Amino acid sequence: MFPLLKTPLACAALALASAAPAVAKLPPERAAQLPAPATRPVDFAKDIQPIFEASCVQCHARGKAKGSFSLETRADFLAGGDTGAPAAAGKSAESLVVEMISGLDPEIVMPKKGKKLTRDQVAVFRAWIDQGMPWPEEITFFKHEPANLRPRDLAEIPAKPGLEHPVDALLDSYLAKNKLAWGQPVDDRTYARRVYLDTIGLLPPPAALESFIADRAPDKRARLVQRLLSDHQAYAEHWLTFWNDMLRNDYKGAGFIDGGRKQITGWLYNALARNLPYDQFVAQLINPTADSEGFTDGILWRGAVNASMVPPMQAAQGISQVFLGVNLKCASCHDSFINEYTLADSYGLASIYANGPLEIAECDVPTGHAAKVKFLYDDLGAIDEKAGPADRKQQLMEIITGRKNGRLPRTIVNRLWQRFMGYGLVEPVDEMDKPAWSPELIDWLAEDLVAHGYDLKHTMARILTSRAYQLPPVSLGEVEENYVFRGPAVRRLSAEQFSDAILALTRQTHEKSAAKLNRHAALTPARDTLPLQPKWIWSTPDAHVKAKPASLVFRRTITLPEAPTEAHFAICGDDNYAIKINGRNAGATPKRNSTYADWVDVSRRLRAGENTIEITVSNMPPDEGRLVSVKTDELPDADSPAGLIVYAYIRAGGETRDVVSDSAWTVVELPKPTNDRFAAADPRPPVELGPAVELGGVDLAPWKLGSHFLDLAAAPEDTLPVTRAALVTADPLTVALGRPNREQFMTTRQTTATTLQALELTNGATLAKLLTRGAPKVLAAHATADTGTLIDALYQQAISRKPTATERDLASQLVGSPASPEGIEDLLWALAMLPEFQLIY
Amino acid sequence: MNLHRLITQHAHRQANPELWSRRDFLKTASAATLAALAAGAPRSLRAEAAAKKIKPTADRVIVLWMGGGMAHTETFDPKRYTAFTPGMNPNDVLSTFPSIPTNVDGVKFSAGLEQLAQVMDRATLIRGMQAADLGFILHSRHQFNWHTGYVPPQTVAAPHLGAWIARTLGPLDPAVPAFINIGQRFDLGEGEELKAFTTAGFLGSEYGPFNVAFPEQAADAVRPPAGMSPGRFADRDKFYRQLLAASPVGQHGSSYQQESLLRAMDNAHRLLSSPAAKAFDLALEPLESTRKYFPGYEPGMRFDAPRDRFGGKYEEGMVGRFGLGCLLARRLCEVGARFIEVTTEYIPFLNWDTHENGHSRLIGMKQAIDAPIAQLVRDLEERGLLDRTLIVLASEFSRDMMVEGKPETKVKDQVEVPQVINDPKHYGMHRHFTAAGSVLMFGGGMKRGYVHGVTADERPCKTIKDPVSITDLHATIYRAMGIPADHNYEVEKRPFYVTSDGKGKAVMDLFA
Repeated sequence: MFPLLKTPLACAALALASAAPAVAKLPPERAAQLPAPATRPVDFAKDIQPIFEASCVQCHARGKAKGSFSLETRADFLAGGDTGAPAAAGKSAESLVVEMISGLDPEIVMPKKGKKLTRDQVAVFRAWIDQGMPWPEEITFFKHEPANLRPRDLAEIPAKPGLEHPVDALLDSYLAKNKLAWGQPVDDRTYARRVYLDTIGLLPPPAALESFIADRAPDKRARLVQRLLSDHQAYAEHWLTFWNDMLRNDYKGAGFIDGGRKQITGWLYNALARNLPYDQFVAQLINPTADSEGFTDGILWRGAVNASMVPPMQAAQGISQVFLGVNLKCASCHDSFINEYTLADSYGLASIYANGPLEIAECDVPTGHAAKVKFLYDDLGAIDEKAGPADRKQQLMEIITGRKNGRLPRTIVNRLWQRFMGYGLVEPVDEMDKPAWSPELIDWLAEDLVAHGYDLKHTMARILTSRAYQLPPVSLGEVEENYVFRGPAVRRLSAEQFSDAILALTRQTHEKSAAKLNRHAALTPARDTLPLQPKWIWSTPDAHVKAKPASLVFRRTITLPEAPTEAHFAICGDDNYAIKINGRNAGATPKRNSTYADWVDVSRRLRAGENTIEITVSNMPPDEGRLVSVKTDELPDADSPAGLIVYAYIRAGGETRDVVSDSAWTVVELPKPTNDRFAAADPRPPVELGPAVELGGVDLAPWKLGSHFLDLAAAPEDTLPVTRAALVTADPLTVALGRPNREQFMTTRQTTATTLQALELTNGATLAKLLTRGAPKVLAAHATADTGTLIDALYQQAISRKPTATERDLASQLVGSPASPEGIEDLLWALAMLPEFQLIY
Repeated sequence: MNLHRLITQHAHRQANPELWSRRDFLKTASAATLAALAAGAPRSLRAEAAAKKIKPTADRVIVLWMGGGMAHTETFDPKRYTAFTPGMNPNDVLSTFPSIPTNVDGVKFSAGLEQLAQVMDRATLIRGMQAADLGFILHSRHQFNWHTGYVPPQTVAAPHLGAWIARTLGPLDPAVPAFINIGQRFDLGEGEELKAFTTAGFLGSEYGPFNVAFPEQAADAVRPPAGMSPGRFADRDKFYRQLLAASPVGQHGSSYQQESLLRAMDNAHRLLSSPAAKAFDLALEPLESTRKYFPGYEPGMRFDAPRDRFGGKYEEGMVGRFGLGCLLARRLCEVGARFIEVTTEYIPFLNWDTHENGHSRLIGMKQAIDAPIAQLVRDLEERGLLDRTLIVLASEFSRDMMVEGKPETKVKDQVEVPQVINDPKHYGMHRHFTAAGSVLMFGGGMKRGYVHGVTADERPCKTIKDPVSITDLHATIYRAMGIPADHNYEVEKRPFYVTSDGKGKAVMDLFA
């Protein structure tokens, strides 16, 4: 694990020139050009407040005080800022503020940005000053209380006849207010297709669909939802995409090439498959384990990076956007113009993830001011500035997942609602400071989630069983002005849903998973109790706190009675590992930060008799991209946590021959490598350091791998078929259909069809190959069926209904009798192009 | 337009292809553009009309990308030549080729660019290109910077130059994709990093690149999938339309998503069946004309055999591949392409990325670009297209034997240079130099026979007069296309500008 970013404070905060000039005076010839003060009595609320709102508050109120000048209250206004008092009652011609707003001196014109004042407005402003600056006390320009922040427990929702579901009862008054009536629920086919795609991302299998339709039980829809949500694997492999987009987790992509990025797939899959309660899910991302820290570690590019994008700033942007629906991107460079967040807010949050104090840079220019560690909302809790990084992250985690934070549950229920209905209760979904179109509904859903142990599946089931979700589909563009809820929107299959559907239709699987994980560790109960407890080891005690940069080789010999029937390692090395068994490579991670629990098959490397296991682990110096020009040994404080943990699961000769990392391993330190190919070979030999030092067990911080590591150790090889696009890298088809390049936190995708997409679908090689390879498999699976039956089956699979007589005739002509593979291929293509296939109605 | 009308229109078109006129194309295309606008494609903060205030001097752009770092001292800005002798001091080496005259008095190129030297009288040559100072040098990061104007990482996905132009100006002909990218694969080396900027980013995939990795196979991009006859392809399409017409989707009525889907299919079909699609097929070019771009061309030649991926064979292939890319660019210009990039392909340690064998490698690279670019210029001129086509040859940075980055800022040396050169493989420009670089431009309103900027004749061969930043180069390209440097689109409620923060200043000296 890398130590956190350390951005030294370049220079001490400069003492501000505070010799505040008194009220300025325009040269008489300029003063003559000022608009004369208005003669009528000025009313603050009517005349002055609108000017403040339009031209001043963006920088000088609502929590912001550019130039230390605030006009949140009359007292603040009168006190002035860096340049002194703005005005003297009765002396408007000599008031600095008048000089500034008049624009007569182009050097100091105010406002710098935004709407300049008209001459009439200046005249009114002068009159206000001359009349003594009356300002009713109750008018202030404090920061707005953001919406959706405090928890609100609604009283019992009175059920209405036919609207027993609380969501429907709450919506009923909304619909009434908008003069809308409830529509009839959609039919079983439409409903089933919706919930299959919304819960597990797959089309309903025809047999399951027909038995669902035949079912007469009144609660069959609710039972279907429950059944689908308890398919842990399908659920995890569908929602993996949702979270991969949001947490920008991917298996390939910018940053991975030189280890500047870490995937969190193993952790994420486990969390989804085990339905980790959402508060714990968020807690483990904010105060991460070695397996989940890829999210807050961010993407580390080598070389100079804009100050607003150093890893701690990335962490601040990700945490605020994903979990709180707050956009800090503007406020990462300067005080935001689009919301009320300030540069200090962004740096305050980012500082939690930095080792030392961060120096605030405004638009990439260092200001000389050190950031103060803080959370966005003071009321929710404070971060102890003196605490170390580990404690700060713990405190942030407690604040964000704490009961006082009503934003966390609202943000996630809003995202779920948006997925299922096509439009959020708050929209855009990342502007959670805005009120919902039904505050009662979002408040109730949020509290309901909390009351049910932050169980996201509970909230999903709530929404999916509501009558609201069962309403007929409505048409929705990507930008909606004056949205009114009428029912779920017609939505498009995601790239992954499309690709998975084609794979299922053509009975194919992906070759292998690109995601780094072993699914058995999450899906199957541990098959046996492991006899040993592995230990984190290193060459020095307290290496889990800090250790010098070094490359160590951990060595252990084992003797096996015969070649193993099964042998794999669960392993995690900080910063990385490379395994050699009997001198041959058996597995390795990328060189830079690669600290995550890994499952490695070593059965082919072990043999009967004595075997030597050597694992090289490098603890790397801090590298936040900017420091690479400095030589390793010149780094001021290069120490960082280091360790290795291994569980070697070995079955040979019918016996358990497990080995774990502990003090029975020996350590050798390698000389420092050099990049200089022309330098003489390093004469220093490796240094024998003796037995390894035990640091602690699987729960040891900072890695906190926990029981997941042991589950992984006990897991057999993952031979589960790979049927989902979420587990493989993007291909031209999924890219064309909108799978994002996951370098940014992506909470929604564009869904409008484009020409380039249609081209990829029409003559792109990816889909064409899938269909060409799939058609013979389809034919083989229906070897005994006549063409009509085959067509019926494909229609049912692809669009969840039988073809009409016309459709069957058309298709028969194309497919031929007996059916030809080309005919099947073309039928599948045409079916896949139909709106009925690509859309969710 | 409701679904029924769309389907009827499909059927009508199917039955009466001759009625499906170019005017109809334009009509639907503008509908598609409107749909894209309504569709969450980011809104322009300035009225589109504002873009029209600048009178464009070009209608289309061709970027010729010298990926990997093209040494200015070995190409368009030669310095003192020192021949290879065993035991030589690397500090003595500035250029490893003699210089040759061009057809403009006093302007010299490096040997190996004899044909380009003969079109220098049509060119504007920038000699003081300044790559950004990004600290540790990584090719793909600098290429990201060059192509988007922004430094990665960014909080929103930054669009490629081609995507900005596609978004702002749209296709020149609706049947030709507005942004065509020729010659780069994305499954090698830093492919993922290249993908990060070869994108329309937040502008939306409608404006993204139409990628053609191998120009000789470009026709595949507009042909039926492999193994499918044109007859079957047409039948399949006809069947889809019949199925669509027979589908009882009406039960759910029309919807925005449905219409956008059908319109996209229509647009794709139009592109595939348009006469313009023939421009992608290099087999239709007369052999003698193709051979002007690639003398060794034989009909049916392909460059993507696996053995050509790396090593000597790959480099031999590069000569023809880039040449055919230029030919394809010319053909696409003739049918109305808006933005084309042709790259020599960036693959770590290959092509212009001359960590070793700098001198011998450059012989091949110059051979790869010299004839085809000169021919492209002559062909466009002959066809009357050069005046309105802006050609920009550029690279992410330059190279030098000794200096990494900018002379005044120390960055980590990534290439070790021996004290004494004994092996010819160490003879050449190995390090990444960012304080100067050459950009060669033709047509599109630029001056002819003009050199802008001066670099030092002794190491460090940095810019000493008239430096040009990437931001200002972009502003120049955008200005030529009639787009102001502060043109922007709103994403997540904030403006994102075509040039970094809208601050680009077009280099007016370059304009004729």
